[in-house]
Amino acid sequence: MTTVQSTDGGAVSPSPTESLPDLDALDHAGGGQVSTVAQRDAEGWVTARPPRFHEIVRRVFGFPGLLRRHKDLVLTSVKRDLEVRFSGTILGWFWPLFHPLFLFVVYYFIFVHLLGFKLQGLPESQKSGMGVYMFVGISAWTAIAETLVRGTSSIVDNGNLIKKLAFPSEILPLNVTLVGLVTLLFAVAMFVVACTLTPMWPAPGWALLWVPVILLVQGVFTYGLALFLSTLQVFLRDTLQVVTVLTTVWMFATPIFWVPEVTKRVADYMPILSINPVYHLVQAWRGALMGDVVIPKTPEIAGGLAVSVEAIGPHLAVLAAWAVGFYVLGFAFFVLCQRRFADEV
Amino acid sequence: MTTEYALEAEGLGKAYRMYPGPLQRVLEGITFGRHKGYSEFWALKDTNFRLKPGSSFGLCGANGAGKSTLLKILSGTTAPSVGRYRARGRVASLLELGAGFHMEFTGRANIVMNGTMMGLTREEISRKMDSIIDFAELGDYIDEPVRTYSSGMGLRLGFAVAVAVDPEILIIDEVFAVGDMYFQKKCVDKIYEFKKRGKTILFCSHSLYDVRQLCDQAIWLDHGECRAIGDSVEVTNEYSAFQRHHISEDDSVVGHIEEAPELATRAGEDLPHIVDARIYRMGTDEECYQVTTGDSIEVRVWWENPHPEETPIQIGVAFMRQDMTTCGGVGTHLSGYEFSGERGCLVVRLPNLQLLSGQFLIPVVLFDGEGVHKYQEYVLPENLVVRTKTRDIGLFRLTHEWTEYELAPPESGGQEA
Repeated sequence: MTTVQSTDGGAVSPSPTESLPDLDALDHAGGGQVSTVAQRDAEGWVTARPPRFHEIVRRVFGFPGLLRRHKDLVLTSVKRDLEVRFSGTILGWFWPLFHPLFLFVVYYFIFVHLLGFKLQGLPESQKSGMGVYMFVGISAWTAIAETLVRGTSSIVDNGNLIKKLAFPSEILPLNVTLVGLVTLLFAVAMFVVACTLTPMWPAPGWALLWVPVILLVQGVFTYGLALFLSTLQVFLRDTLQVVTVLTTVWMFATPIFWVPEVTKRVADYMPILSINPVYHLVQAWRGALMGDVVIPKTPEIAGGLAVSVEAIGPHLAVLAAWAVGFYVLGFAFFVLCQRRFADEV
Repeated sequence: MTTEYALEAEGLGKAYRMYPGPLQRVLEGITFGRHKGYSEFWALKDTNFRLKPGSSFGLCGANGAGKSTLLKILSGTTAPSVGRYRARGRVASLLELGAGFHMEFTGRANIVMNGTMMGLTREEISRKMDSIIDFAELGDYIDEPVRTYSSGMGLRLGFAVAVAVDPEILIIDEVFAVGDMYFQKKCVDKIYEFKKRGKTILFCSHSLYDVRQLCDQAIWLDHGECRAIGDSVEVTNEYSAFQRHHISEDDSVVGHIEEAPELATRAGEDLPHIVDARIYRMGTDEECYQVTTGDSIEVRVWWENPHPEETPIQIGVAFMRQDMTTCGGVGTHLSGYEFSGERGCLVVRLPNLQLLSGQFLIPVVLFDGEGVHKYQEYVLPENLVVRTKTRDIGLFRLTHEWTEYELAPPESGGQEA
């Protein structure tokens, strides 16, 4: 991985195997701009033709490799993104911690205190159940919604960069995704600390081990969507407006402020509601952070296991299926359109 | 895939799609491209060239001629529409001053970010950090936010990072214009060093000097088409000849020549201009560009000045060695020569030319009355090649003689004192 020195005069391709495309060889050379804009054939010629099927497949599934080679670029960009948001503010790095706290206070006050939304029949230790239920939901949702809105404009906003520097532009929506996940992680950490220090809620146990898995699946899911939307936004600037509206609709279609197990009427719609991938995501998060929450059955409400650790696995499996689908679709769309980015942004 | 070329382009072209509105784009999208709602604008057409490692390639042409488009394609930021190219080795490009710099962050942080963008690892960057800061000469400013930098400082930082990549192929769009003379010289030295190490350089500039000085080969693009390609001196000659015609014959296109915006507001004919300039053996009509030290030459400059009262002129002739060192220059404003009339042939006689061997570029500059504003810089059709028969060193042969006195050293003098 060392820089090829002057002595070879740029004589041969650094790649020992002829069959490898030059792009990979270049990546390994450890310097120089890496363009993923145009297609390179086996002899190193860069041509105008659109990517072929096998090239798209290679790009989609070769992304982890690209990520490994460019990990420094990704890390630096994510760090920069976070610094841009928080550096220069008085509270600095406390902001991502305060955000979820304020959210929790606001939601708890309005929904639980003022409107009296309560989960009936919970044990004493789970008294603040509704507040925590909403908090976890809103935290997970915010990470998704913010990533989608910011991700949609991530390529267009960095137009100048795309025009002037050759670098793998697929990392732009990735940065936004990772920033969303890191912010979410702050909220999760805050929650765990608060549960450990106060009697607000029983501190989460071994189920916390699910957190990395949930983050990974959520990351793939949001990244795939963000890739698709950011590509679409390059050609169709209305995308951002549509996304802003749709995320609001999506938020209410997801059990964030309401508990499906509570009303019979909603319970009837569960087969439809459970198509929603974000439903599975918030339920997985709740399982990991809240443990089991059982709502007793009464004549008025359906009752049942509103949150459970057991269900994390199945929920994640459904989400993972969605995630892979969105990822493959979004990435393929991105690869197909990428060569026109610099002309359109 | 072994080939002796560092960079090859075959039939390279680029068309930009112009859509009348966003709706046309949607129509094209949902019909899978069957409905073509765009018109094409060809920014670059059928460009062919091959560059060997160690060569330097200059691009000249008016604004909008396709220079930047070509550089963008070759640096990999945009895809070609037709044709193909092949680059061997790492490419680093400097297409815009401070592209990718984040204004709120320090120079140091920006080096890391820009470096990773260019494909360096963090480890490599920290290894090269000192040499980058050193080259950019930012001193303590390196830990200040980039927004506090002057444009020259930004350029130095950008250039320093690009060369730190140590690419096989370095692509530079016209960015030098911002730097001061000292830094320009430094960049030029760096570029020479790159050349010596067998690296390939692509360089775009409005300055025909730079193209001639820095590049062995050049291409002249005009409205996306290649008008001339080959030896940089020949190409720049053709381009400057074309520019002259352009100014004097076709007033409607004068606006394309952005270097002289004042020309756009007035008809080219009205302004003073140099019609031609050539070097002759002194006192003869023999045009000559190959001389020996001690020869006598004269430079004839044919000028026109339709309104001498409004626009008084001065003319200067300079001798520049290939590394941009100005070896000497003479000017009518320096000698107090006075012009009269609307046209003429100014002759500057240089008897017993004492320049030592080398290639000299001879710009003829048409100044305003005070010798400040340049109306025009005219480059002679060929460089002056001087041969030397003696073994003198330096730029000039100094007039000298050797002799001996019978004298004791002065009392207080001497270096041992």
